[in-house]
Amino acid sequence: MAAETAPATPLSPAVFAILLSLARGEKHGYQIMKDVRAPEGGGVQMGPGTLYGSLDRMMRDGLVEETGLTDDERRRYYRLTARGDSDLIAELRRLAAAVAGARSLGLLPHGGRS
Amino acid sequence: MTQSVQDRTRLESLYALALRAYPTRFRQAYGASMRQAFRDAFSDTSLSRRTLIRLVFRDLVTSLIKEHLAMLLDTFARPALLFNAVILSALASGLALALYSIPQQVLRQGANDPQIALAGDLAAKLEQGVAPTAAVPAASVDMARSLTPFVIVYDDRGHPLASQAQLDGQIPVPPQGAFDYVRQHGEERVSWQPILGSVRGVRIAAVIERVNGPQPGFVLAGRNMREVESREQQVSKMAGLTWIGMIGVILLGTAAFGWYTRPKTA
Repeated sequence: MAAETAPATPLSPAVFAILLSLARGEKHGYQIMKDVRAPEGGGVQMGPGTLYGSLDRMMRDGLVEETGLTDDERRRYYRLTARGDSDLIAELRRLAAAVAGARSLGLLPHGGRS
Repeated sequence: MTQSVQDRTRLESLYALALRAYPTRFRQAYGASMRQAFRDAFSDTSLSRRTLIRLVFRDLVTSLIKEHLAMLLDTFARPALLFNAVILSALASGLALALYSIPQQVLRQGANDPQIALAGDLAAKLEQGVAPTAAVPAASVDMARSLTPFVIVYDDRGHPLASQAQLDGQIPVPPQGAFDYVRQHGEERVSWQPILGSVRGVRIAAVIERVNGPQPGFVLAGRNMREVESREQQVSKMAGLTWIGMIGVILLGTAAFGWYTRPKTA
C-alpha cells in the first residue's frame, strides 16, 4: 500500500514544489507552473514537459491524483493524496530542522526570513 | 488577425511539432495538456516572451531526454525481461565455453598420442638392457622448429644420457619435480616450456616414463606443440565468434520482446 510506505525524503526540488503547490488546493497544469516559479513556491523554473513528466511519476508513486474534473478538455486538475500530504509534511519538517540548525550556527538570523 | 495572435499561433504550431518528439505514450497522455499549459503561459502577461521561449526550449531539451530514458527503462529494465536475458546469456556463455574447452582438450590430449607409444617402447628397450645411445635414434631434431616427435633418456638423477633432439645446441632437462612425480606414479604427461639460452616460448607436449631395472632412469618423448596450439587458437576464435553471435541474438530478441510487450498504460 502506498500510504503505508516510509516518506521518500529528501524530495527533488520539482516534486517538493508541486506538492507544495497542490497543498493549497486542486490545480491544473499552468497554475502549478506559476506557483512553483514563485520564490515562496520553491522558485523552480518548470516547463510543461518537466511538469507533466513529474506529475506522471508522482501519480505512479501515489503522491498525487487527477481529480477527474476539467474546465476544458485539455485542462486536467490534480490534487494531493494522503501519501503526498504526509511526504510533504515530512519534507517540510526535514527542511525546518535544517533551517533551525543553520540558525543555531548563526548562518541565518533568529526569527528572520530565509 | 493581430500580430500577437499570429505569433501565438506560429509558436504553438512549432511547440505542437516539437511534442511529436516525445515518446508516444507520454504524448498521448499529456500532449493536449502540455499545449494548453503553453497557451496559458503565452497568455500570462507576467511572463515575457523571451523568458517563456527560453524556458520552453530548455524544458523541451531536458524533458525529452528524461522521458525517453524513462521510456527505455520502462521498456527494457523490467525484472522479468532482464532475468530472462541474464539466464539466456549464462546458457550461451556456458555453451560457448564448452565449444572451446571440449575440442581444446581433445586436441591437447591428441598431441600426446605418438609420444605415449614412443616413450613406452623406449623404456621397454632400456629395461631389457639396451644402451641408451643405441636405443635412441640417431637423427637430430631441432625442438624449436621441427614438428617431429623426439626422445631423450635421463639417468636416475635426471642427467641426460642420450638425446635425439636439441634446443639452442643443448639438451634441455625438465624440472626435478617432474622426475619426482614420475618416480612415484610411473608416468607424467605435461606441457613443457624448456628455457635454454635465448630460446623462449617453445612448448613441448611431453610424456615422461620411468625406466626400471638395473639402470633406472627416465625417458622423455616430446613434440613441438606449435601446430596444436595454432588449432586451439582457431577453436578459440570460433567459440568466441559463436558467443558474440549468441549474445547479439539474445540482446536483439530481448529488445524486440521488450518493445512489443512494453507497458502501454498511461
